[in-house]
Amino acid sequence: MSMTTTAAYGERKALPALRPRRIPEHWWGYVLLAPAVALVVGIILYPVAYSFWISFHAKHAYMPIQNWVGLDNYIFFLTDYDGFWRSLWLGTIYAFGTVTLQIVVGVAAALVLNETFIGRGFVRGLTLFPYMLPTIVVVILMRWLFNDSIGVVKYLLESTIVTRAIVWFAPETIMVTMILVSTWTFFPFVVIGTLARMQTIDPELYAAAKVDGAGILRRLWHVTLPQIRSVLFVVVLLRFMFMFTKFDVIWLFAGAGGLGSYVRTLPIYTFVKSFGELQVGMGAALSTIMFMMLAAFVALYFRLFKRDENL
Amino acid sequence: MVAQIAQRTAIYLSAGVICLMCGFPLYWMVLTSLKPDAEIIQAVPTFFTWQAHLDAYQRLFTQTRFLTYFINSITVAGSATLLTILVAVLAAYGITRFRFRGREAVAGTMLFTYMFAPIMIVVPFYILMRSVGLVNSHLGLILSYTTFSLPFSMWMLRSFFQSIPLELEEAAMIDGASRPRAVALIIVPLALPGVIAVSIFTFIVAWNDYLFARVLIGADQLKTLPVGIQDLYESTVTDWGMVMAAGVMITIPALVFFVAVQRYLVSGWGAGAIKG
Repeated sequence: MSMTTTAAYGERKALPALRPRRIPEHWWGYVLLAPAVALVVGIILYPVAYSFWISFHAKHAYMPIQNWVGLDNYIFFLTDYDGFWRSLWLGTIYAFGTVTLQIVVGVAAALVLNETFIGRGFVRGLTLFPYMLPTIVVVILMRWLFNDSIGVVKYLLESTIVTRAIVWFAPETIMVTMILVSTWTFFPFVVIGTLARMQTIDPELYAAAKVDGAGILRRLWHVTLPQIRSVLFVVVLLRFMFMFTKFDVIWLFAGAGGLGSYVRTLPIYTFVKSFGELQVGMGAALSTIMFMMLAAFVALYFRLFKRDENL
Repeated sequence: MVAQIAQRTAIYLSAGVICLMCGFPLYWMVLTSLKPDAEIIQAVPTFFTWQAHLDAYQRLFTQTRFLTYFINSITVAGSATLLTILVAVLAAYGITRFRFRGREAVAGTMLFTYMFAPIMIVVPFYILMRSVGLVNSHLGLILSYTTFSLPFSMWMLRSFFQSIPLELEEAAMIDGASRPRAVALIIVPLALPGVIAVSIFTFIVAWNDYLFARVLIGADQLKTLPVGIQDLYESTVTDWGMVMAAGVMITIPALVFFVAVQRYLVSGWGAGAIKG
Protein backbone atom coordinates (compact mmCIF):
# COMPACT_ATOMS: atom_id res chain seq x y z
CA MET A 1 0.00 0.00 0.00
CA SER A 2 2.60 2.44 1.11
CA MET A 3 4.81 1.28 -1.72
CA THR A 4 2.27 2.34 -4.34
CA THR A 5 1.80 5.71 -2.70
CA THR A 6 5.49 6.33 -2.70
CA ALA A 7 5.80 5.19 -6.27
CA ALA A 8 2.99 7.45 -7.35
CA TYR A 9 4.45 10.29 -5.41
CA GLY A 10 7.83 9.68 -6.90
CA GLU A 11 6.38 9.70 -10.39
CA ARG A 12 4.55 12.93 -9.82
CA LYS A 13 7.62 14.54 -8.43
CA ALA A 14 9.64 13.46 -11.44
CA LEU A 15 7.26 15.24 -13.81
CA PRO A 16 8.61 18.81 -13.60
CA ALA A 17 12.09 17.55 -14.43
CA LEU A 18 10.77 16.20 -17.73
CA ARG A 19 9.58 19.66 -18.79
CA PRO A 20 11.90 21.92 -20.73
CA ARG A 21 13.82 24.39 -18.61
CA ARG A 22 11.42 26.67 -16.83
CA ILE A 23 11.23 30.35 -17.59
CA PRO A 24 12.27 32.29 -14.47
CA GLU A 25 9.26 33.55 -12.57
CA HIS A 26 9.80 37.28 -13.08
CA TRP A 27 10.15 36.83 -16.83
CA TRP A 28 6.50 35.91 -16.99
CA GLY A 29 5.70 39.56 -16.38
CA TYR A 30 7.44 40.50 -19.63
CA VAL A 31 5.94 37.58 -21.53
CA LEU A 32 2.40 38.43 -20.48
CA LEU A 33 2.82 42.12 -21.23
CA ALA A 34 4.49 41.53 -24.59
CA PRO A 35 1.34 41.45 -26.80
CA ALA A 36 -0.08 44.61 -25.24
CA VAL A 37 3.22 46.46 -25.45
CA ALA A 38 3.79 45.30 -29.03
CA LEU A 39 0.39 46.62 -30.10
CA VAL A 40 0.71 49.98 -28.35
CA VAL A 41 4.25 50.51 -29.61
CA GLY A 42 3.45 49.33 -33.13
CA ILE A 43 0.15 51.10 -33.66
CA ILE A 44 0.47 54.24 -31.51
CA LEU A 45 4.00 55.09 -30.37
CA TYR A 46 5.93 54.09 -33.48
CA PRO A 47 3.52 55.90 -35.85
CA VAL A 48 3.72 59.03 -33.70
CA ALA A 49 7.52 58.96 -33.78
CA TYR A 50 7.46 58.19 -37.50
CA SER A 51 5.07 61.09 -38.03
CA PHE A 52 7.57 63.41 -36.35
CA TRP A 53 10.25 62.09 -38.71
CA ILE A 54 8.25 62.52 -41.94
CA SER A 55 7.21 66.03 -40.90
CA PHE A 56 10.73 67.00 -42.04
CA HIS A 57 10.13 65.50 -45.47
CA ALA A 58 8.18 66.27 -48.60
CA LYS A 59 6.24 63.05 -48.92
CA HIS A 60 3.47 61.93 -51.23
CA ALA A 61 0.68 59.77 -49.80
CA TYR A 62 0.92 57.03 -52.43
CA MET A 63 4.05 57.52 -54.50
CA PRO A 64 7.39 56.58 -53.00
CA ILE A 65 8.68 60.14 -53.03
CA GLN A 66 10.32 61.27 -49.85
CA ASN A 67 12.78 64.15 -49.77
CA TRP A 68 14.36 65.72 -46.74
CA VAL A 69 13.25 69.36 -46.54
CA GLY A 70 14.26 70.19 -42.98
CA LEU A 71 11.93 72.70 -41.37
CA ASP A 72 10.32 73.78 -44.65
CA ASN A 73 6.93 72.28 -43.81
CA TYR A 74 6.81 74.16 -40.53
CA ILE A 75 8.06 77.39 -42.13
CA PHE A 76 5.38 77.07 -44.82
CA PHE A 77 2.63 77.17 -42.19
CA LEU A 78 4.07 80.34 -40.61
CA THR A 79 2.84 82.35 -43.60
CA ASP A 80 -0.07 80.09 -44.54
CA TYR A 81 -2.65 82.68 -43.46
CA ASP A 82 -5.67 81.31 -45.32
CA GLY A 83 -4.83 77.75 -44.40
CA PHE A 84 -3.09 77.24 -41.11
CA TRP A 85 -3.85 80.48 -39.26
CA ARG A 86 -7.47 80.51 -40.33
CA SER A 87 -7.84 76.88 -39.22
CA LEU A 88 -6.25 77.69 -35.90
CA TRP A 89 -8.69 80.59 -35.45
CA LEU A 90 -11.74 78.50 -36.43
CA GLY A 91 -10.55 75.65 -34.24
CA THR A 92 -10.15 77.99 -31.30
CA ILE A 93 -13.65 79.39 -31.77
CA TYR A 94 -15.03 75.87 -32.04
CA ALA A 95 -13.17 74.56 -28.99
CA PHE A 96 -13.96 77.53 -26.73
CA GLY A 97 -17.54 77.75 -27.96
CA THR A 98 -18.39 74.09 -27.44
CA VAL A 99 -16.49 73.70 -24.18
CA THR A 100 -18.17 76.76 -22.65
CA LEU A 101 -21.63 75.62 -23.71
CA GLN A 102 -20.98 72.03 -22.63
CA ILE A 103 -19.91 73.16 -19.18
CA VAL A 104 -22.88 75.50 -18.74
CA VAL A 105 -25.47 73.01 -20.00
CA GLY A 106 -23.75 70.04 -18.34
CA VAL A 107 -23.46 71.60 -14.88
CA ALA A 108 -27.01 72.95 -15.06
CA ALA A 109 -28.33 69.52 -15.99
CA ALA A 110 -26.27 67.86 -13.26
CA LEU A 111 -27.71 70.28 -10.68
CA VAL A 112 -31.24 69.34 -11.72
CA LEU A 113 -30.46 65.62 -11.81
CA ASN A 114 -28.96 65.85 -8.32
CA GLU A 115 -32.34 66.93 -6.88
CA THR A 116 -34.90 64.33 -5.85
CA PHE A 117 -37.91 64.02 -8.13
CA ILE A 118 -40.15 61.33 -9.52
CA GLY A 119 -38.63 59.64 -12.57
CA ARG A 120 -35.10 60.79 -11.82
CA GLY A 121 -33.49 57.49 -12.82
CA PHE A 122 -35.21 57.61 -16.18
CA VAL A 123 -34.15 61.20 -16.87
CA ARG A 124 -30.57 60.40 -15.85
CA GLY A 125 -30.47 57.53 -18.33
CA LEU A 126 -32.01 59.65 -21.05
CA THR A 127 -29.40 62.36 -20.50
CA LEU A 128 -26.64 59.95 -21.46
CA PHE A 129 -28.38 59.14 -24.72
CA PRO A 130 -26.84 61.89 -26.90
CA TYR A 131 -23.40 60.78 -25.77
CA MET A 132 -23.77 57.07 -26.53
CA LEU A 133 -25.25 57.71 -29.95
CA PRO A 134 -22.70 56.72 -32.64
CA THR A 135 -21.23 59.80 -34.33
CA ILE A 136 -22.59 58.89 -37.74
CA VAL A 137 -26.10 58.73 -36.27
CA VAL A 138 -25.67 62.08 -34.51
CA VAL A 139 -24.67 63.56 -37.83
CA ILE A 140 -27.48 62.21 -40.00
CA LEU A 141 -30.06 62.88 -37.27
CA MET A 142 -28.92 66.47 -36.76
CA ARG A 143 -28.76 67.14 -40.48
CA TRP A 144 -32.39 66.05 -40.58
CA LEU A 145 -33.50 68.05 -37.53
CA PHE A 146 -31.63 71.17 -38.73
CA ASN A 147 -32.62 70.72 -42.39
CA ASP A 148 -33.09 74.12 -44.00
CA SER A 149 -36.25 73.35 -45.93
CA ILE A 150 -38.27 70.82 -43.93
CA GLY A 151 -36.32 70.48 -40.68
CA VAL A 152 -38.38 70.31 -37.51
CA VAL A 153 -36.14 72.71 -35.54
CA LYS A 154 -36.62 75.40 -38.14
CA TYR A 155 -40.36 74.77 -38.15
CA LEU A 156 -40.65 74.89 -34.36
CA LEU A 157 -38.61 78.09 -34.03
CA GLU A 158 -40.19 79.95 -36.92
CA SER A 159 -43.72 79.08 -35.86
CA THR A 160 -43.13 80.24 -32.30
CA ILE A 161 -40.47 82.70 -31.22
CA VAL A 162 -38.35 83.56 -34.26
CA THR A 163 -39.74 85.93 -36.86
CA ARG A 164 -36.95 85.91 -39.43
CA ALA A 165 -36.19 82.93 -41.64
CA ILE A 166 -33.46 80.76 -40.13
CA VAL A 167 -30.72 79.24 -42.26
CA TRP A 168 -28.59 76.70 -40.40
CA PHE A 169 -26.38 75.76 -43.32
CA ALA A 170 -24.84 78.99 -44.59
CA PRO A 171 -21.30 80.37 -44.47
CA GLU A 172 -22.20 82.75 -41.64
CA THR A 173 -24.14 80.28 -39.52
CA ILE A 174 -22.56 76.87 -40.06
CA MET A 175 -20.07 77.31 -37.21
CA VAL A 176 -22.91 78.14 -34.82
CA THR A 177 -24.87 75.09 -35.98
CA MET A 178 -21.75 72.96 -35.60
CA ILE A 179 -21.19 74.23 -32.04
CA LEU A 180 -24.82 73.55 -31.08
CA VAL A 181 -24.70 70.02 -32.48
CA SER A 182 -21.37 69.24 -30.78
CA THR A 183 -22.64 70.61 -27.49
CA TRP A 184 -25.72 68.43 -27.71
CA THR A 185 -23.77 65.25 -28.19
CA PHE A 186 -20.90 65.90 -25.74
CA PHE A 187 -22.48 67.69 -22.75
CA PRO A 188 -23.40 64.37 -21.01
CA PHE A 189 -19.68 63.87 -20.39
CA VAL A 190 -19.80 66.94 -18.13
CA VAL A 191 -22.97 65.64 -16.47
CA ILE A 192 -21.38 62.27 -15.65
CA GLY A 193 -18.32 63.88 -14.11
CA THR A 194 -19.96 66.61 -12.08
CA LEU A 195 -22.98 64.59 -10.98
CA ALA A 196 -20.75 61.86 -9.56
CA ARG A 197 -18.94 64.51 -7.52
CA MET A 198 -22.14 66.27 -6.40
CA GLN A 199 -23.44 63.03 -4.96
CA THR A 200 -20.49 62.91 -2.57
CA ILE A 201 -21.05 66.40 -1.13
CA ASP A 202 -21.84 66.15 2.57
CA PRO A 203 -25.56 66.99 3.05
CA GLU A 204 -24.69 68.66 6.35
CA LEU A 205 -23.00 71.46 4.41
CA TYR A 206 -26.34 72.29 2.84
CA ALA A 207 -28.17 71.95 6.14
CA ALA A 208 -25.71 74.34 7.78
CA ALA A 209 -26.08 76.83 4.93
CA LYS A 210 -29.86 76.60 5.25
CA VAL A 211 -29.69 77.29 8.97
CA ASP A 212 -27.60 80.35 8.16
CA GLY A 213 -30.41 81.51 5.92
CA ALA A 214 -28.79 80.92 2.53
CA GLY A 215 -31.26 80.62 -0.36
CA ILE A 216 -30.96 78.11 -3.19
CA LEU A 217 -28.73 80.36 -5.31
CA ARG A 218 -26.37 81.20 -2.46
CA ARG A 219 -26.13 77.52 -1.54
CA LEU A 220 -25.24 76.80 -5.17
CA TRP A 221 -22.59 79.53 -5.18
CA HIS A 222 -21.06 78.92 -1.77
CA VAL A 223 -21.46 75.17 -1.30
CA THR A 224 -21.90 73.30 -4.60
CA LEU A 225 -19.55 75.20 -6.87
CA PRO A 226 -16.55 75.19 -4.51
CA GLN A 227 -17.07 71.45 -4.04
CA ILE A 228 -17.16 70.59 -7.74
CA ARG A 229 -14.29 72.92 -8.62
CA SER A 230 -11.63 70.26 -8.69
CA VAL A 231 -13.66 67.94 -10.90
CA LEU A 232 -14.51 70.82 -13.22
CA PHE A 233 -10.78 71.49 -13.48
CA VAL A 234 -10.25 68.03 -14.98
CA VAL A 235 -13.44 68.06 -17.06
CA VAL A 236 -12.61 71.40 -18.72
CA LEU A 237 -9.08 70.21 -19.48
CA LEU A 238 -10.26 66.93 -21.04
CA ARG A 239 -13.12 68.52 -22.94
CA PHE A 240 -10.82 71.17 -24.38
CA MET A 241 -8.29 68.57 -25.49
CA PHE A 242 -10.99 66.44 -27.09
CA MET A 243 -12.75 69.32 -28.81
CA PHE A 244 -9.53 70.88 -30.11
CA THR A 245 -8.64 67.59 -31.83
CA LYS A 246 -12.19 66.61 -32.81
CA PHE A 247 -12.41 65.30 -36.33
CA ASP A 248 -15.26 62.96 -37.16
CA VAL A 249 -18.33 64.94 -36.10
CA ILE A 250 -17.12 68.12 -37.88
CA TRP A 251 -16.00 66.30 -41.00
CA LEU A 252 -19.20 64.31 -41.36
CA PHE A 253 -21.56 67.16 -40.47
CA ALA A 254 -20.09 69.91 -42.61
CA GLY A 255 -16.35 69.54 -43.14
CA ALA A 256 -16.52 67.35 -46.21
CA GLY A 257 -19.22 69.35 -47.95
CA GLY A 258 -19.46 72.69 -49.73
CA LEU A 259 -19.40 74.64 -46.46
CA GLY A 260 -16.30 72.76 -45.33
CA SER A 261 -13.97 75.75 -45.44
CA TYR A 262 -16.11 77.56 -42.84
CA VAL A 263 -15.59 74.84 -40.25
CA ARG A 264 -12.06 73.89 -41.29
CA THR A 265 -10.46 73.46 -37.91
CA LEU A 266 -6.89 72.14 -37.55
CA PRO A 267 -7.86 68.43 -37.55
CA ILE A 268 -9.92 68.97 -40.71
CA TYR A 269 -7.06 70.88 -42.31
CA THR A 270 -4.67 68.06 -41.39
CA PHE A 271 -6.93 65.49 -43.03
CA VAL A 272 -7.38 67.63 -46.16
CA LYS A 273 -3.63 68.21 -46.50
CA SER A 274 -2.83 64.50 -46.01
CA PHE A 275 -5.58 62.71 -47.87
CA GLY A 276 -7.00 65.45 -50.10
CA GLU A 277 -3.81 67.10 -51.33
CA LEU A 278 -1.83 63.92 -50.55
CA GLN A 279 0.96 65.91 -48.89
CA VAL A 280 1.67 63.55 -46.05
CA GLY A 281 4.75 65.45 -44.88
CA MET A 282 2.67 68.58 -44.35
CA GLY A 283 -0.07 66.61 -42.63
CA ALA A 284 2.51 65.11 -40.29
CA ALA A 285 3.89 68.57 -39.54
CA LEU A 286 0.36 69.75 -38.69
CA SER A 287 -0.10 66.76 -36.37
CA THR A 288 3.13 67.63 -34.61
CA ILE A 289 2.12 71.27 -34.29
CA MET A 290 -1.24 70.25 -32.83
CA PHE A 291 0.44 67.99 -30.32
CA MET A 292 2.83 70.73 -29.23
CA MET A 293 -0.02 73.19 -28.89
CA LEU A 294 -1.91 70.75 -26.71
CA ALA A 295 1.15 70.13 -24.56
CA ALA A 296 1.67 73.89 -24.20
CA PHE A 297 -2.00 74.34 -23.36
CA VAL A 298 -1.89 71.66 -20.68
CA ALA A 299 1.23 73.19 -19.13
CA LEU A 300 -0.26 76.68 -19.17
CA TYR A 301 -3.57 75.47 -17.82
CA PHE A 302 -1.90 73.78 -14.87
CA ARG A 303 0.21 76.86 -14.14
CA LEU A 304 -2.76 79.20 -14.25
CA PHE A 305 -5.30 77.21 -12.34
CA LYS A 306 -3.64 74.58 -10.26
CA ARG A 307 -1.91 76.89 -7.79
CA ASP A 308 -4.89 77.53 -5.59
CA GLU A 309 -6.40 74.09 -5.98
CA ASN A 310 -5.90 71.30 -3.56
CA LEU A 311 -6.36 68.48 -6.00
CA MET B 1 -44.46 76.99 1.46
CA VAL B 2 -45.02 79.03 -1.68
CA ALA B 3 -41.27 79.13 -2.21
CA GLN B 4 -41.13 75.37 -1.89
CA ILE B 5 -43.88 74.79 -4.44
CA ALA B 6 -42.14 77.19 -6.78
CA GLN B 7 -38.92 75.28 -6.30
CA ARG B 8 -40.55 71.90 -6.99
CA THR B 9 -42.19 73.33 -10.11
CA ALA B 10 -38.87 74.70 -11.30
CA ILE B 11 -37.22 71.31 -10.81
CA TYR B 12 -39.89 69.44 -12.75
CA LEU B 13 -39.87 72.05 -15.50
CA SER B 14 -36.08 71.79 -15.86
CA ALA B 15 -36.28 68.01 -15.85
CA GLY B 16 -38.89 68.29 -18.60
CA VAL B 17 -36.60 70.51 -20.66
CA ILE B 18 -33.75 68.00 -20.28
CA CYS B 19 -36.04 65.14 -21.35
CA LEU B 20 -37.16 67.08 -24.37
CA MET B 21 -33.65 68.07 -25.35
CA CYS B 22 -32.26 64.53 -25.13
CA GLY B 23 -35.35 62.50 -25.94
CA PHE B 24 -37.01 64.44 -28.75
CA PRO B 25 -34.29 63.75 -31.36
CA LEU B 26 -34.55 60.04 -30.53
CA TYR B 27 -38.32 60.15 -30.91
CA TRP B 28 -38.01 62.11 -34.14
CA MET B 29 -35.58 59.58 -35.62
CA VAL B 30 -37.84 56.63 -34.86
CA LEU B 31 -40.94 58.52 -35.99
CA THR B 32 -39.39 59.58 -39.31
CA SER B 33 -38.30 56.03 -40.02
CA LEU B 34 -41.91 54.86 -39.64
CA LYS B 35 -43.72 57.68 -41.45
CA PRO B 36 -45.05 57.41 -45.02
CA ASP B 37 -42.82 59.33 -47.48
CA ALA B 38 -45.40 62.00 -48.27
CA GLU B 39 -45.76 62.79 -44.59
CA ILE B 40 -41.98 63.11 -44.12
CA ILE B 41 -41.54 65.84 -46.71
CA GLN B 42 -44.58 67.99 -45.98
CA ALA B 43 -43.85 71.56 -44.92
CA VAL B 44 -45.77 71.37 -41.65
CA PRO B 45 -44.40 68.30 -39.86
CA THR B 46 -46.68 65.91 -38.04
CA PHE B 47 -45.69 64.90 -34.53
CA PHE B 48 -47.39 61.53 -34.67
CA THR B 49 -48.37 59.22 -37.48
CA TRP B 50 -51.35 56.91 -37.82
CA GLN B 51 -49.85 55.17 -40.84
CA ALA B 52 -46.68 53.75 -39.38
CA HIS B 53 -45.05 51.14 -41.59
CA LEU B 54 -41.68 49.47 -42.10
CA ASP B 55 -41.19 50.29 -45.80
CA ALA B 56 -38.10 52.37 -45.05
CA TYR B 57 -36.49 49.42 -43.28
CA GLN B 58 -37.36 47.15 -46.18
CA ARG B 59 -35.76 49.57 -48.65
CA LEU B 60 -32.73 49.79 -46.41
CA PHE B 61 -32.17 46.05 -46.39
CA THR B 62 -33.10 45.27 -49.99
CA GLN B 63 -31.91 48.25 -52.01
CA THR B 64 -28.67 49.09 -50.25
CA ARG B 65 -25.68 47.20 -48.91
CA PHE B 66 -26.68 48.03 -45.35
CA LEU B 67 -26.70 44.40 -44.28
CA THR B 68 -23.15 43.89 -45.55
CA TYR B 69 -21.94 46.96 -43.65
CA PHE B 70 -23.80 45.79 -40.58
CA ILE B 71 -22.21 42.33 -40.67
CA ASN B 72 -18.79 43.91 -41.27
CA SER B 73 -19.22 46.17 -38.27
CA ILE B 74 -20.33 43.29 -36.07
CA THR B 75 -17.38 41.17 -37.23
CA VAL B 76 -14.81 43.90 -36.68
CA ALA B 77 -16.20 45.12 -33.37
CA GLY B 78 -16.72 41.58 -32.08
CA SER B 79 -13.22 40.40 -33.00
CA ALA B 80 -11.64 43.54 -31.56
CA THR B 81 -13.55 42.95 -28.33
CA LEU B 82 -12.41 39.32 -27.98
CA LEU B 83 -8.82 40.20 -28.81
CA THR B 84 -8.83 43.10 -26.35
CA ILE B 85 -10.08 40.88 -23.53
CA LEU B 86 -7.36 38.32 -24.22
CA VAL B 87 -4.50 40.80 -24.49
CA ALA B 88 -5.68 43.01 -21.63
CA VAL B 89 -6.28 40.11 -19.23
CA LEU B 90 -2.76 38.76 -19.90
CA ALA B 91 -1.21 42.18 -19.48
CA ALA B 92 -3.17 43.14 -16.38
CA TYR B 93 -2.40 39.79 -14.79
CA GLY B 94 1.28 40.15 -15.60
CA ILE B 95 1.42 43.62 -14.17
CA THR B 96 -0.37 42.80 -10.92
CA ARG B 97 1.11 39.38 -10.15
CA PHE B 98 4.76 39.63 -11.14
CA ARG B 99 7.45 42.02 -10.03
CA PHE B 100 9.76 43.16 -12.75
CA ARG B 101 11.67 46.21 -13.88
CA GLY B 102 9.74 48.84 -15.80
CA ARG B 103 6.36 47.69 -14.57
CA GLU B 104 5.20 51.16 -13.55
CA ALA B 105 6.74 52.72 -16.66
CA VAL B 106 4.63 50.49 -18.89
CA ALA B 107 1.44 51.35 -17.02
CA GLY B 108 2.27 55.06 -17.18
CA THR B 109 3.13 55.00 -20.87
CA MET B 110 -0.20 53.34 -21.62
CA LEU B 111 -2.05 56.31 -20.10
CA PHE B 112 0.25 58.78 -21.85
CA THR B 113 -0.98 57.49 -25.22
CA TYR B 114 -4.26 59.28 -24.51
CA MET B 115 -2.43 62.50 -25.36
CA PHE B 116 -2.48 61.41 -28.99
CA ALA B 117 -5.80 62.12 -30.63
CA PRO B 118 -6.83 59.84 -33.52
CA ILE B 119 -6.23 62.62 -36.05
CA MET B 120 -2.57 62.82 -34.97
CA ILE B 121 -2.08 59.08 -35.46
CA VAL B 122 -4.02 58.52 -38.64
CA VAL B 123 -1.45 59.81 -41.15
CA PRO B 124 1.52 57.68 -40.08
CA PHE B 125 -0.86 54.84 -39.22
CA TYR B 126 -2.05 54.78 -42.81
CA ILE B 127 1.51 54.72 -44.18
CA LEU B 128 2.42 51.94 -41.77
CA MET B 129 -0.61 49.85 -42.71
CA ARG B 130 0.16 50.30 -46.39
CA SER B 131 3.73 49.15 -45.92
CA VAL B 132 2.65 45.96 -44.13
CA GLY B 133 -0.17 45.30 -46.58
CA LEU B 134 -3.08 45.66 -44.17
CA VAL B 135 -4.94 48.26 -46.24
CA ASN B 136 -8.39 47.11 -47.27
CA SER B 137 -8.54 44.39 -44.67
CA HIS B 138 -10.53 43.96 -41.50
CA LEU B 139 -7.45 42.70 -39.68
CA GLY B 140 -5.88 46.16 -39.79
CA LEU B 141 -9.01 47.67 -38.26
CA ILE B 142 -9.31 44.97 -35.60
CA LEU B 143 -5.70 45.48 -34.50
CA SER B 144 -6.13 49.24 -34.33
CA TYR B 145 -9.34 49.20 -32.30
CA THR B 146 -7.80 46.67 -29.94
CA THR B 147 -4.82 48.96 -29.48
CA PHE B 148 -6.89 52.09 -28.91
CA SER B 149 -8.92 50.47 -26.18
CA LEU B 150 -5.96 48.69 -24.54
CA PRO B 151 -4.80 51.51 -22.24
CA PHE B 152 -8.24 51.87 -20.66
CA SER B 153 -8.84 48.11 -20.60
CA MET B 154 -5.55 47.40 -18.92
CA TRP B 155 -6.06 50.02 -16.24
CA MET B 156 -9.59 48.87 -15.60
CA LEU B 157 -8.62 45.20 -15.25
CA ARG B 158 -5.55 46.07 -13.24
CA SER B 159 -7.65 47.72 -10.57
CA PHE B 160 -9.93 44.68 -10.49
CA PHE B 161 -7.05 42.20 -10.28
CA GLN B 162 -5.43 44.20 -7.50
CA SER B 163 -8.54 43.80 -5.39
CA ILE B 164 -8.52 40.00 -5.71
CA PRO B 165 -6.46 38.42 -2.91
CA LEU B 166 -3.47 36.38 -4.00
CA GLU B 167 -4.44 33.62 -1.55
CA LEU B 168 -7.38 32.63 -3.75
CA GLU B 169 -5.28 31.55 -6.69
CA GLU B 170 -2.58 30.13 -4.45
CA ALA B 171 -5.23 27.95 -2.87
CA ALA B 172 -6.37 26.80 -6.29
CA MET B 173 -2.80 26.04 -7.30
CA ILE B 174 -2.15 24.09 -4.11
CA ASP B 175 -5.23 22.05 -4.97
CA GLY B 176 -3.51 21.09 -8.19
CA ALA B 177 -4.73 23.67 -10.69
CA SER B 178 -2.15 25.02 -13.09
CA ARG B 179 -1.70 28.78 -13.15
CA PRO B 180 -3.63 29.31 -16.42
CA ARG B 181 -6.46 27.21 -14.98
CA ALA B 182 -6.43 29.20 -11.76
CA VAL B 183 -6.61 32.44 -13.73
CA ALA B 184 -9.38 31.24 -16.01
CA LEU B 185 -11.49 29.67 -13.27
CA ILE B 186 -10.85 31.95 -10.29
CA ILE B 187 -9.55 35.35 -11.37
CA VAL B 188 -11.50 36.10 -14.53
CA PRO B 189 -14.91 35.22 -13.02
CA LEU B 190 -14.14 37.44 -10.01
CA ALA B 191 -13.14 40.31 -12.30
CA LEU B 192 -16.18 39.75 -14.53
CA PRO B 193 -17.67 43.24 -14.08
CA GLY B 194 -14.36 44.65 -15.25
CA VAL B 195 -14.22 42.27 -18.20
CA ILE B 196 -17.75 43.26 -19.19
CA ALA B 197 -16.98 46.96 -18.92
CA VAL B 198 -13.85 46.48 -21.02
CA SER B 199 -15.65 44.53 -23.72
CA ILE B 200 -18.43 47.06 -24.00
CA PHE B 201 -15.99 49.94 -24.10
CA THR B 202 -14.05 48.25 -26.90
CA PHE B 203 -17.18 47.34 -28.79
CA ILE B 204 -18.39 50.93 -28.75
CA VAL B 205 -14.98 52.29 -29.79
CA ALA B 206 -14.96 49.93 -32.76
CA TRP B 207 -18.64 50.40 -33.57
CA ASN B 208 -18.38 54.21 -33.68
CA ASP B 209 -15.06 54.75 -35.39
CA TYR B 210 -15.20 56.58 -38.66
CA LEU B 211 -11.70 57.97 -39.26
CA PHE B 212 -9.60 54.79 -39.35
CA ALA B 213 -12.19 52.83 -41.29
CA ARG B 214 -12.35 55.68 -43.80
CA VAL B 215 -8.64 55.78 -44.58
CA LEU B 216 -8.08 52.03 -44.39
CA ILE B 217 -11.08 50.60 -46.23
CA GLY B 218 -11.78 51.40 -49.86
CA ALA B 219 -13.62 48.33 -51.11
CA ASP B 220 -17.39 48.68 -50.76
CA GLN B 221 -17.97 45.12 -49.56
CA LEU B 222 -15.54 45.65 -46.67
CA LYS B 223 -16.90 48.96 -45.36
CA THR B 224 -18.15 49.27 -41.81
CA LEU B 225 -21.35 51.12 -40.93
CA PRO B 226 -20.11 54.71 -40.37
CA VAL B 227 -18.26 54.76 -43.69
CA GLY B 228 -20.96 52.89 -45.59
CA ILE B 229 -23.72 55.14 -44.30
CA GLN B 230 -21.80 58.30 -45.10
CA ASP B 231 -21.33 57.14 -48.69
CA LEU B 232 -24.94 56.06 -48.90
CA TYR B 233 -26.08 59.44 -47.64
CA GLU B 234 -23.92 61.38 -50.05
CA SER B 235 -24.45 59.29 -53.15
CA THR B 236 -28.23 59.58 -53.45
CA VAL B 237 -30.99 62.12 -53.19
CA THR B 238 -31.63 61.81 -49.50
CA ASP B 239 -34.35 59.33 -48.66
CA TRP B 240 -34.88 60.60 -45.12
CA GLY B 241 -37.08 57.70 -44.08
CA MET B 242 -34.42 55.21 -45.06
CA VAL B 243 -31.58 57.24 -43.56
CA MET B 244 -33.41 57.45 -40.23
CA ALA B 245 -34.14 53.73 -40.40
CA ALA B 246 -30.40 53.18 -40.78
CA GLY B 247 -29.85 55.45 -37.78
CA VAL B 248 -32.22 53.38 -35.67
CA MET B 249 -30.54 50.13 -36.75
CA ILE B 250 -27.05 51.44 -35.89
CA THR B 251 -28.22 52.79 -32.56
CA ILE B 252 -29.75 49.55 -31.28
CA PRO B 253 -26.52 47.56 -30.69
CA ALA B 254 -24.79 50.59 -29.16
CA LEU B 255 -27.83 51.21 -26.96
CA VAL B 256 -27.97 47.61 -25.75
CA PHE B 257 -24.30 47.67 -24.85
CA PHE B 258 -24.56 51.10 -23.30
CA VAL B 259 -27.45 50.25 -21.03
CA ALA B 260 -25.48 47.25 -19.84
CA VAL B 261 -22.35 49.25 -19.07
CA GLN B 262 -24.01 52.35 -17.58
CA ARG B 263 -23.26 51.56 -13.97
CA TYR B 264 -19.58 50.96 -14.65
CA LEU B 265 -19.24 54.22 -16.52
CA VAL B 266 -18.96 56.41 -13.48
CA SER B 267 -16.42 54.22 -11.72
CA GLY B 268 -14.31 53.96 -14.86
CA TRP B 269 -14.51 57.67 -15.52
CA GLY B 270 -11.21 58.39 -13.83
CA ALA B 271 -9.33 55.90 -15.98
CA GLY B 272 -10.50 57.56 -19.17
CA ALA B 273 -13.41 55.22 -19.80
CA ILE B 274 -15.11 57.85 -21.83
CA LYS B 275 -13.02 59.40 -24.45
CA GLY B 276 -14.03 61.71 -27.24
